[in-house]
Amino acid sequence: MDDRTIAIEARGLCRSFGGRIVLRPIDLAIPAGQTVALTGANGAGKTTLLRILSGLNRPTAGKVFWFGQPAATNSPACRELGVVMHESQIYPHLTVHENLLFSARMHGVSEPRRQIHRWLESVGLERQRDCLAAKLSRGMRQRLALARALLHDPRVLLWDEPFSGLDRENAIWLRELLGKLRDAGKTVCFSTHDADFARNCADRALHLHGGRLQEHEMAMAEPIIASVGSSRARAA
Amino acid sequence: MESKRKIPVTGIGMLNVLAAVSMPAAIAAIFFLAPREETMGEVQRIFYVHVAVAWCGLMSLIVSALAGASYLFRRDLAWDHWSLAAAELGWLGCGLALITGSLWARAAWSVWWTWDPRLTTTFILWLIYSGYFLVRGGLEDGHRRARVGAVMTILGMLDLPLLFMATRWFRGIHPVPQGMEPSMRTALIASLASFSALFLLLLILRKVQLKQAQILLTCESAAEMNADDSPGW
Amino acid sequence: MVAKLWWMIHKDLVSEWRARRAWPSMLLFGTVVALTFGAQIEPLSQWKAQISGSLLWLAIFFAGMLAIDRSFAAEREEGSMDGLSLYPISSEAVFLAKLAVNAIALGALQAVLIPLFIVFCDAPLAAHPWAMLLVAMLGNLGIASVGTLLSALTSGTRHSGSMLALLALPLAIPVLLAASKATQCLGGAQIDADCWRWMQLLGAFAVVFSIAGMLLFDFARED
Repeated sequence: MDDRTIAIEARGLCRSFGGRIVLRPIDLAIPAGQTVALTGANGAGKTTLLRILSGLNRPTAGKVFWFGQPAATNSPACRELGVVMHESQIYPHLTVHENLLFSARMHGVSEPRRQIHRWLESVGLERQRDCLAAKLSRGMRQRLALARALLHDPRVLLWDEPFSGLDRENAIWLRELLGKLRDAGKTVCFSTHDADFARNCADRALHLHGGRLQEHEMAMAEPIIASVGSSRARAA
Repeated sequence: MESKRKIPVTGIGMLNVLAAVSMPAAIAAIFFLAPREETMGEVQRIFYVHVAVAWCGLMSLIVSALAGASYLFRRDLAWDHWSLAAAELGWLGCGLALITGSLWARAAWSVWWTWDPRLTTTFILWLIYSGYFLVRGGLEDGHRRARVGAVMTILGMLDLPLLFMATRWFRGIHPVPQGMEPSMRTALIASLASFSALFLLLLILRKVQLKQAQILLTCESAAEMNADDSPGW
Repeated sequence: MVAKLWWMIHKDLVSEWRARRAWPSMLLFGTVVALTFGAQIEPLSQWKAQISGSLLWLAIFFAGMLAIDRSFAAEREEGSMDGLSLYPISSEAVFLAKLAVNAIALGALQAVLIPLFIVFCDAPLAAHPWAMLLVAMLGNLGIASVGTLLSALTSGTRHSGSMLALLALPLAIPVLLAASKATQCLGGAQIDADCWRWMQLLGAFAVVFSIAGMLLFDFARED
C-alpha cells in the first residue's frame, strides 16, 4: 500500500439542517496511516462531520471519497471502513459472540471464529463471550462496539468521542490501542472535545468552530512522519 | 441558489390573462352553450366542472410524482417545490372532484355517495395525499422532508392503477359519457382548458412562493450565524 | 449473498424470540379483534361468508402493523441501523431481509387468525386449503412490502407508529380489497375465474411494491 494515498477526502462539504448551517464548505484530506483528532466544543458539528465522512449522512453539498472511491452506504467500499459512533450499533438481544459473528458474516470475514476470539481477547471481553449484549456495562459495550468495527480489518477507523466517560485506566488502554493501530498502518480519525487527548494521541488535530475546520498549530509544527514516533513516545 | 430556471414574468402574466379570460368563457359555455340534459336537467351541468377538476387533480398528482423522482436523482430542492406545489393542487383537485361527484350522485341516484370505482379511487388518493402532508409536517429539515415526500408521491403513483383495477372489479356504476352532443363536447373542452390553465398558474405561483419561503429561511439562519458566529444544530 | 440474507433474517428472528417485543402484542391484538368481530357478526349468519373475509384481512392488517412498525424502530434503538448501512451488502438485500422478517411475522399471525376466524365466525376458510394458502401468502407479501418501506420511511419521525398505519392503509387498499374478495370466493364450492383474477391482482401488487421497495429503500432509510 502506498503511504501517500489519501484515505479519506472531502471536497466542499456543506451540511445545513432545517435551514441552519452546521458545516460550511469544508475541504479535508486524511493521508493513509495518519491519526487525526477532530476537536471542537459540544455541538460544533463533530459528530455530523464524522457521520458524513462515514457516508451515514448525506452532505447538503460536496462529496466524500474513500481511497478515491465515492463514499456510499451498502457498497463494497464499506469494507475499508470501521465506524464507532456514540450509539454502540449492537443488538442488545444477541450475545457478545453472536454480535461479532453477525458482523463477521456480513463482511465475509474468513475464519470468523478465530478472528472473533482474537478481538475478544484484545478488548478484554473473553469472559463475557456468551453474555447478552444488553447486560454489558457502558464501557464494555464500547469495547464490543470497537471490536465490531475492527473485526473485518478495515484500513480506516472513524471513531466518535472515544474518550467520553472513560476512567483513567481505560483512557490509558485506549491510548495504547491507538498507538497499536498506528503501528499497524491504520488511518484513524476520532473526535474529542478534550484538547489534551488530541495532543497526546494524534498526529494532527483539526479544530471545528463555527462550521469551519481549522488546522491546529500542533500539526503545523510537526511533520507527519516524525510525529509517528514522537507522539507514541508521549502516549506511552 | 440556482437562478437559471427563472420563470419569465411575462409567461406568468400571459397565463394570468388566459385563466382570467377562459374561466368566464368556460362558465358561459357550460351554462349557455351546452344544452339542458334530458333526464337530469340543470344539475347535469356540474359534470363539466367535475370532469375538469378531477382531470387537473390527477395530472397534478402525476406531476408531483415525476417531480419527486427528479428530486431523488438531482437532490435539488427546486424539484421538491414543484412536487409539493403539485401535490397540494392534486389534493385540492381530488377534493373538489369528490364534492362535485357527491352532488352529482345525490341528483342522479339520490344518494350522497356511491362506491363507484373512480369516486372511490379519488377518495383513496385524497387520503394518501392527506397522509403525505401529515408526514411532511412532522419533519423539519428541508431535504429530509423532500425525500420522504418524494417516496410517498411515487408510491401513490404506483398504487393508482392497482387501486383503480381493484375498485373497478369490486363494483362499478360510473356513467361513461357516450354520444355527447357537439355543443356539450365544446363546453367540456372549454372547461378542461380553463381549469388546466388555472391549475398551471396556481402551480407556478405556489412554486415561486415556496422558493421565496426557502430563501427567507436560509437568509435568517445566515444572519443568525453571522450575529454570534456560533454554530447551531 | 443468500447466506447473508439468511443471517440478517436469523438475527432478527433470534432477537424477537429472546426479547418478545412485537409478536406477542401482534398476536394478542389479532386474537382480540377476531373475538370482537366474531361476536359482532354472529347475528348476521347468512352474510358470514361474505363479511368474515374482509374482517379477517382488516384484522391481519392492523395487528400486522404492530410488528412491522418495530422492524426499523428496533434497529434505531442502539444505532444498529448505522451498522447495517455500512456492511458491504446491497441495500436491496437489507430491504429484502426486513421484508422477509415481516412476511414471516404476518404468516405467524395468519396461522393464528385463520383458525380463530373458522372457530369464532364459522368462516368457510378451509374449503380450498391450498388456494387459501396462496391467497394468504400473496396478501401477506403485499402488506409486508408496503409496510416495510413505509416503516423505513417513518421510523425516524414523530408518532411513527400511528403514522405507519395512517400511510399504509390507503396504499394497501388494493391488497385488502383483493384479498378479502379472493377469500370470499374461496368459500364457494368452486374456484371461479373471478377468484383467479383477484389473486392475479394480489400477485401484481406484491411484485410492484416489492420492486418499488427495493429501489426506494435507499432513499427511504437515509438520514
